[in-house]
Amino acid sequence: MGFFDHLLRDIRSVIDRDGGQDAIPPLDGAMSPNDRLDTAVVIGDPLPGVDDVIDAGGGAVYVSAGRRVLKLSGTDYVTRTIMAEFDGEAGGLALHPDGRLLVCVAGRGLAAIDPAQPEPRWLNDVGGRPLVGLLSVTAAPDGRIFAVEGSVGRKPDEWRRDLMEKRSNGRLISCGAGLDDPQEVLRDLPYSHGVTVSPDGASLWLTESWAHRLSRFALGPSGIGSREVIAANMPGYPARLHPDGRGGLLLAVFARRTHLIEFVLKEDDFRNDMMASMPPDYWVAPALAGGSDCLEPMQIGSVKALGIQKPWAPPRSYGLLVHLDAEGEVADSLHSRAGGRFHGLTAACATHSGVIIAARGAGCLLNYTGDLR
Amino acid sequence: MSMAVDSFAASVRRFSPRLLLSELMLKQWFEPVVPFTVMIGLWAYFALTIPDYASVQSSVSLLRLFAEFGFVALAMGFCLVTGGIDLSVGAIFALCNFAALYFLLVREWPVEAAIPATLVIGALLGSINGFLIGFLKTRPFLTTLVTLIILRASVNLLNTQYAQVFATNSVESDSWDFIGGGTVLGIPINAATLFVVLLICHVFLSRSRYGWHLTAIGASRKAARHAGIRVRLMLFMTYVLSGTLCAASGIFYAARQASTDSTTGVGWEFQALTAVVLGGVSLAGGKGTVWRAMIGAVIIFLLINGLVRMGVPGYVTSAVTGLILLVAVGIDVKWSKNRGKAIQKIYVNPAFVPLAAAPAVHAGSGSPYAQNDRLINAQGIGIDQVEGPEDVILDRQGRLYGSTRDGNVIRFSGPNFETREVFAHIGGRPLGMQFDRDENLIVAVAGMGVYGVAPDGRVFKVTDETNRTWYKLNDDSRLRMADDLDIAPDGKIYFSDCTTRYEMTTNTLDILEGRPNGRVVCYDPATKTTRTVINHFYFPNGICVSHDGRSILIASTSLCKVFRHWIEGPKKGRTEVLIDELPGNPDNINRASDGTYWLALVGIRTPTFDLAARKPGFRLRMVKQVPTDEWLAPALNHGCVLKFNENGEALESWWDPTGISHSTLTSMREHQGYLYLGGLENNRIGRIKLDGVDDSWTGYDAYWGAKSRATTKVTG
Repeated sequence: MGFFDHLLRDIRSVIDRDGGQDAIPPLDGAMSPNDRLDTAVVIGDPLPGVDDVIDAGGGAVYVSAGRRVLKLSGTDYVTRTIMAEFDGEAGGLALHPDGRLLVCVAGRGLAAIDPAQPEPRWLNDVGGRPLVGLLSVTAAPDGRIFAVEGSVGRKPDEWRRDLMEKRSNGRLISCGAGLDDPQEVLRDLPYSHGVTVSPDGASLWLTESWAHRLSRFALGPSGIGSREVIAANMPGYPARLHPDGRGGLLLAVFARRTHLIEFVLKEDDFRNDMMASMPPDYWVAPALAGGSDCLEPMQIGSVKALGIQKPWAPPRSYGLLVHLDAEGEVADSLHSRAGGRFHGLTAACATHSGVIIAARGAGCLLNYTGDLR
Repeated sequence: MSMAVDSFAASVRRFSPRLLLSELMLKQWFEPVVPFTVMIGLWAYFALTIPDYASVQSSVSLLRLFAEFGFVALAMGFCLVTGGIDLSVGAIFALCNFAALYFLLVREWPVEAAIPATLVIGALLGSINGFLIGFLKTRPFLTTLVTLIILRASVNLLNTQYAQVFATNSVESDSWDFIGGGTVLGIPINAATLFVVLLICHVFLSRSRYGWHLTAIGASRKAARHAGIRVRLMLFMTYVLSGTLCAASGIFYAARQASTDSTTGVGWEFQALTAVVLGGVSLAGGKGTVWRAMIGAVIIFLLINGLVRMGVPGYVTSAVTGLILLVAVGIDVKWSKNRGKAIQKIYVNPAFVPLAAAPAVHAGSGSPYAQNDRLINAQGIGIDQVEGPEDVILDRQGRLYGSTRDGNVIRFSGPNFETREVFAHIGGRPLGMQFDRDENLIVAVAGMGVYGVAPDGRVFKVTDETNRTWYKLNDDSRLRMADDLDIAPDGKIYFSDCTTRYEMTTNTLDILEGRPNGRVVCYDPATKTTRTVINHFYFPNGICVSHDGRSILIASTSLCKVFRHWIEGPKKGRTEVLIDELPGNPDNINRASDGTYWLALVGIRTPTFDLAARKPGFRLRMVKQVPTDEWLAPALNHGCVLKFNENGEALESWWDPTGISHSTLTSMREHQGYLYLGGLENNRIGRIKLDGVDDSWTGYDAYWGAKSRATTKVTG
């Protein structure tokens, strides 16, 4: 970037203050920081690569972790049963109304597992392009299936590169109950991450991480209606959302936005050199977990003072679970701040024994039994 | 020659116009530069366009014309500095002009009596203003506007009454003629007097107690009153002075013109106001010098005079001065409000930092820097009883000292160091420490200089300034941030002053700027002089005199290198790189018992920070656009201690990879088989047992006792 480009950009930043890049909103109101997430209880042994969790009914949950899908049941979910094992990372999960389990498998596609049949059915490509980076799946009460791919042709583990390249290449797909008639519903989405159909089947919710956006679409027999943006400038990168069982939603936010990351996103020259010269773990980029490796980027506010890491320090990683009401307004939030334990949440679901949270950054499954407004 | 040492030529190469401008703007004398340039430019323009303008004769007559206006502008300048204004200067001038003529022609007083009498008249008229403004606290603007109207009316009335007398009589006095048309050394008498008065007024305003009081009142009347300044009396005296200066002007005018009419001094108050504000005397008060007032006066005088000589109609000239006043006032308001911000915006000027490659630090990488957890279980001493012991040291009795951020040197004693006491309160931010031969604890104190603490706890100053660099705008004679020190066998104290552009609280900016702003300084107790040994050094931090006493080792925090500077022997005065590639930012260096050295790395270089070091533009924009807390930094929570030998080869390292007990690790000190650890932001001093070392070795002995390996023995 030459001098002239910078001058132009400076002028633009005065004339068009929000041009393309919104200021990070402060955490206030129902989003006020707290340490309540750190009071959650770890369920069983660590689950490295835990990604999604859904209620399986009957006091059990389905969890995707690594290449496996597990069923956790019994008191305190101590019993672990392997439901399926794939040759790619298992991601988003959903229970179809007819009882089948839908699984997003990285590099492969969408699998539908019928408890009665050993071999899953697969949906491998839509619109001539393979489903490599499926992130979330959901099923409407009428049996239709919706799924999102974060970035077409990219596996989910390349998410950091996708953000740093400022891609907007995600898509929302739909298919019939039998994985038939696959269609691209929306394309060129900025990393569409979470999708869910409201329990009444009237609307479809969608999160787009790189746009920090939550949207709602009316759902009719003919397809989806027009977009209604519910939250356009969230303070973090939204991941999956699942119903809370009370008409609202549980939204996992996998990382906080920081001024430094937003700044690096504006600095093309630095960002390109950074991507070319070092492994993604050391980039100035969001992280699911951090603070332990001395080669990670460090910010001045994160310096420990008198042996204490300030909770309000600029976070390398962060734990944030947002509870939304039926209209998508934030009702409550659980935080694990800088120096906290449970960072990098990717999903949470409501059960009668509390909220089960997948903390991918911490590599464990959590049970939060405190109250949640 | 190393990269860290910068010659004059190298600093010319690294020249940055932004940096120059920011340092210029910090200078008080830089502010009148713009009006001064305008003044010179204006004169040059008229000299080129008007024939004979620059001739001696023409210049002399210009000076004669100018002097009277100069007095009036000076009077206005004084009032503005006190935060007031005197609109009646023109009217007082006219009345005093009349008074002088009246005393001489009507009363027929001798010149020697008429002049003091006129000055008294001026002072009396001024004292009316002064009484109203100073004692009755009326608003200067309205008050002097009223006196302007009344005095102007009186002058007109008196003029019509005595015009006949003035026109028909003339003064027969040589001294009066001399005042009107004489010269001193070729300079018109009135201009010469003005110059003398200016000199006196300059000394009065800038060097005398009452001048400072005036400025203080202008800056903040309330604060001045709280400080015990007699505000009312000072204000009264200011307007008396203003009136007296106008009277002096009136006397010269009367002597030169010997006439008075209704236009004498009309509009001078606004010309004077324009001139003074244009020169840079703030309308808000509290800021200005007599020279600034004069620069502005010369500009306005040259402009009006020049325009008249070019045949421009009078109303155009008035309009031009009006416009200039408008612009000058606008700039004055904006500038005084935003000067600090403007400097702040351009003060930080990051440069390319020539970093060497970073060695591997991963556990299992096989390098001497490979991460381990040897410091995790360090024994904590004084946990939560010390705030940031940047340096730690032990005395001969085995008592432990830490320099803390509250300006104290804390001492721990007893078998397990459970007794805590404040050994000395120095103030500032005590950093590096060392014992001299007499067991005085010499401490480098950021923000103060180098201080000493005698064994009984008495604090004394060692030095707080060094020689100034002649070609630098920033006055670098004061020690800004003395960081670490060590003492050579001959008693000379070598210490680092890590930055001359920033302070303790902003030293992160120096690392981000990546310029050689620091220096290594030496204090010689024999001559009690302080001299800069190496100027322009990249953030010199740790200093250690080598075991043989012939060289000093210098850690450069921002370059991530260790240097050796020879102080004895054939290479004396030369600086060379000792360790070129370090995985982090080095801090303090200290001697180890086996003839090697300890080095603390306060931060570990991260790939992103290294990349930013190569991109000055990125760092500049980051400093401007990103809040301070979010700036990129080296990994300061993951420091380590390492050992290197005389050849600069790293041998081993000690890490606390969690940063839980030892983050921002800045120092370590070996003492009788233990290694003591200090941290800039830590809440404790740490201690680990060292295996296979000389258990009787102490730092004091290694410097001044039997364990010394110095080859240059000095008796005494």
